[in-house]
Amino acid sequence: MRTLLAHVAAFFRKRALDRELDQELAMHLDLATEDNFRRGLSPEEARRDALVRFGGVEVAKEIHRDARGLPWLDSMFQDIGYALRTLRRDAGFTAIAVLILALGIGANTAVFSLGNVFLFRPLPVKDADRLTVVAVQRKADADPDDVSYPDYLDYQAHSSAVFTGMTGYAIRIVGLGYRGHADRLIVSYVPSNFFSMLGIRPALGRLINPGEGDAPRTGPVVVLGHSYWEKRFGGDPDVIGRTVSLDGTAVTVVGVVPKEFLGAFNLVEMDGYAPIGMLGFGSAANILTSRDEHDLSVLATLKPGVGISKAQAALNVVGQRLAQEYPHADQGQRVRVFSEPNARPDPSAADSKPLVAIVFLLMVGVVLLVACLNVANLLLARAAAREKEIAIRAAIGAGRARLLRQLLTESMLLALIGGVGGAILGNSVGYVLNGLRPLGDIPLRLAFVFDWRVFTYVAGVALLAGILAGLAPALRVSRTDLNLALREGGRGLIGESGRHWLRNGLVVAQVAGAVILLVAAGLFTRSLTRAESIDLGFDPHNVLNVSLDPGLQGYTQPRAEALCRELLHRTQTLPSVRSASLAFSLPLGYYNNGAPAYAEAQAPSPSQHVPGATSNAVTPDYFTTMRMRILEGRAFTDADTAASQQVAIVNQTMAARLWPQRDAVGQRFSYKAATGPFVTVVGLVRDAKTTSLLDAPGMYFYVPQTQDYHSAHVLQLRTSIPPESLASAVEGLVRELDPSLPVYEVMSMEQSLEGANGFFLFKVGASFAGALGGLGLLLAVVGVYGVVSYSASRRRHEIGIRMALGAQRVGIFRLVISQAVLLLGIGIALGAAAALGVSRLLASLLVGVSAYDPVTFVGVSGMLMAVALLACYIPAHRAARVQPMAALRDQ
Amino acid sequence: MANQKLDLLQGTLDVMVLQTLHAIGPLHGYGIARRIEQISGNQVLLNQGTIYASLVRLQQRGWIAAEWGASDNNRKAKFYSITRNGRKQLAADAAHWQRLADVMGRMLAMSPGGETR
Repeated sequence: MRTLLAHVAAFFRKRALDRELDQELAMHLDLATEDNFRRGLSPEEARRDALVRFGGVEVAKEIHRDARGLPWLDSMFQDIGYALRTLRRDAGFTAIAVLILALGIGANTAVFSLGNVFLFRPLPVKDADRLTVVAVQRKADADPDDVSYPDYLDYQAHSSAVFTGMTGYAIRIVGLGYRGHADRLIVSYVPSNFFSMLGIRPALGRLINPGEGDAPRTGPVVVLGHSYWEKRFGGDPDVIGRTVSLDGTAVTVVGVVPKEFLGAFNLVEMDGYAPIGMLGFGSAANILTSRDEHDLSVLATLKPGVGISKAQAALNVVGQRLAQEYPHADQGQRVRVFSEPNARPDPSAADSKPLVAIVFLLMVGVVLLVACLNVANLLLARAAAREKEIAIRAAIGAGRARLLRQLLTESMLLALIGGVGGAILGNSVGYVLNGLRPLGDIPLRLAFVFDWRVFTYVAGVALLAGILAGLAPALRVSRTDLNLALREGGRGLIGESGRHWLRNGLVVAQVAGAVILLVAAGLFTRSLTRAESIDLGFDPHNVLNVSLDPGLQGYTQPRAEALCRELLHRTQTLPSVRSASLAFSLPLGYYNNGAPAYAEAQAPSPSQHVPGATSNAVTPDYFTTMRMRILEGRAFTDADTAASQQVAIVNQTMAARLWPQRDAVGQRFSYKAATGPFVTVVGLVRDAKTTSLLDAPGMYFYVPQTQDYHSAHVLQLRTSIPPESLASAVEGLVRELDPSLPVYEVMSMEQSLEGANGFFLFKVGASFAGALGGLGLLLAVVGVYGVVSYSASRRRHEIGIRMALGAQRVGIFRLVISQAVLLLGIGIALGAAAALGVSRLLASLLVGVSAYDPVTFVGVSGMLMAVALLACYIPAHRAARVQPMAALRDQ
Repeated sequence: MANQKLDLLQGTLDVMVLQTLHAIGPLHGYGIARRIEQISGNQVLLNQGTIYASLVRLQQRGWIAAEWGASDNNRKAKFYSITRNGRKQLAADAAHWQRLADVMGRMLAMSPGGETR
């Protein structure tokens, strides 16, 4: 220990110690000279003999320094200084290498940051490491889903042995009215223990008190999200105690959550939090009482020392009991416990997310590999030019290990700078994603943070890149035979065949890597095109959607109905509007109305499950506007009013499920309770993609708006001109009717289909994979071009001889190109083989296209070959124009 | 053999330096080098310069101490002296070398028949 301290001290007192040593050595030589002189030698001889016996002053100093200080640190600083000088001298090379590495590392950073948001980073809450999500699978093969509120209460009451607490949240979009202006808010309705269990303290005012609003229709308070408070109230602390209206109910603002708490849902920041009892006021009142309404995302904190499996076992017992007590709702239901990060953003993703993560991490891994190979090749090419310098360094005493370290220092330095660039690039991807709005007007708010996890990952990746890119060239170069290298005068013919082999190998690997990336990109892109050309069951072209919610402005039902009637009427008179209708929700939108469907006279036996359906409330022209075909019976008419017979139109799936042997039209069912009230089916509509793009259509039915009131409306227009061009006219109509009524999500149906339940994930997946594929293509082409033009320039002499001996220019051209074709051919073959192995992983993420899709494989191979050969045209052309005399004279 | 100088084994120089300082008292670098050459009867191949690496090593281990002082002819020189720890170390080293020398002696005394002479 003491010795180590002495070494460190010596390292920092270098200059003083060197001076002392100089004095000491000078003294030594003087004394020796004097002794020799006294023995009778001449002054010159005396001095000479002293020096000889001393054996090299500089060497002695060097040994002394090594012995006293930290030689490896000394030489590391030397190496870094030297590397910096070299890199600065070769600014062009450095820039390209850094750029390539930055792209590779940036792609990795981006994917990891995303992974960090969805997989790793704990929520900023108490005991986040023990936080779990409880979800239920309603059928064995269903995705994990939210829990019904009554079930949640049962699970909570009987799990205190494994959990220290259990809470939940139900997300709603509501209107907050204040001083005559209404905002649409995304709000979590929570049990009163929500904040205390998560350990959240108010930034202002108070949060929800124990027991407050746990009973239906109680707890008229709201806690504001930090961003919303700043945006809407300008961060005014006096907002506490004010009265605002929440979906028409007067509530008091009691507090604001801290800035870092965005809510428990990982995609968007909550604008507010209200007691769950407040849901009792709305149209969805039965979520507090019905075991069929799966609406609560449940969070639970494990007791210290309790594992997930133990908690799972405890809840299984409760689940079995619930299934016995409430067979119609809970039979066949399976409860599951996930660690909270696994269930992000939603428990339904828990089972497929790891696969997505692996696929993308693999892809960016390949990108990094290709980038490193590319830089390795650049380093090799540069090393050839530096052969002489390296030989000189070896000649003046640098050992192989020392040279190796020097060269690795250079590549590490490149990787380090590339890493900084990559971190910046990768992080900016996060900002781009955060602007996207797959949920209508609500912007994504992913909590991208450059935390220690991301930092460690980037540093690790950069380190790996430095070694990957630098090791092979360094090993090869440090093996240089210095005698030959010096003699060859920089033409470096030694080891040339070996080096070619290495360079060619690196290029083949790059091409193979690029093929893997391109295949993945191609598959995702084809999958997107297929998804877009899926038969949706409705016609999304030339449709304009405009959302409005008179309830947000405190409209009562009769006033809202009158307003909507008038609006619909006026809209229909607009030129170039073919038909107009109102609906509650959009197909493939981000909200839906789920409802049970009890067929009349087939009351489910206790063991039978009530089928869950989805419903929409529409006006008569809906099916015309959406171009959905009524197969049997009729569409709604103006004669279907609140007072007339209650009617519904069902889709094919529902008809087949509820009345398998019979004609659905004329049958009756209830979406309220087994005992009714019942509605009569008057029409059968073709199945459409209404809730999910991929899944088979579920049971879906439509009811007239006059018989099922919701305050939220989407006005839909079928137009004869591009729908966006009508947007301002429609907004004008709404303003005429009520200047204070906000409209939102004014967009064409095609735009709206870009949302989370539509093409959003396909688009993100395809563009991400496309970017990575493009990167791979670029790098591979640069690599092939580099190695081909390098070897062509090296073979100038040989080409000169060939031409002098009568070779045609075409032959030379072919000679160069054939090298490229060979490299590409081998690379593509290897890459395609590897891609065949890997693409199996992708299969479950693709729609309408096989993971072994020959079009993709052939297409990307052809594209890579074509682009690379195009690039190689330049060196081939140059080689073919070599003047034999000039080339030969050069030697 | 006689006209070829002995290469110093790893670590032997340190012991020689310690022993010299132990036997003679404080000395400067040149003095130590000269004394080693004299005692060994000029049998040792010593680059005098290497003595300084040995000196700094021993100093950092706390086995010798250094002090600037005046030499015989009144010039400033760095004098080294052995410390208490140094003497302990020397004792241990000396015992080690003694044993090694004994063993080597016996090994080399072995006759072709395997009998000790």
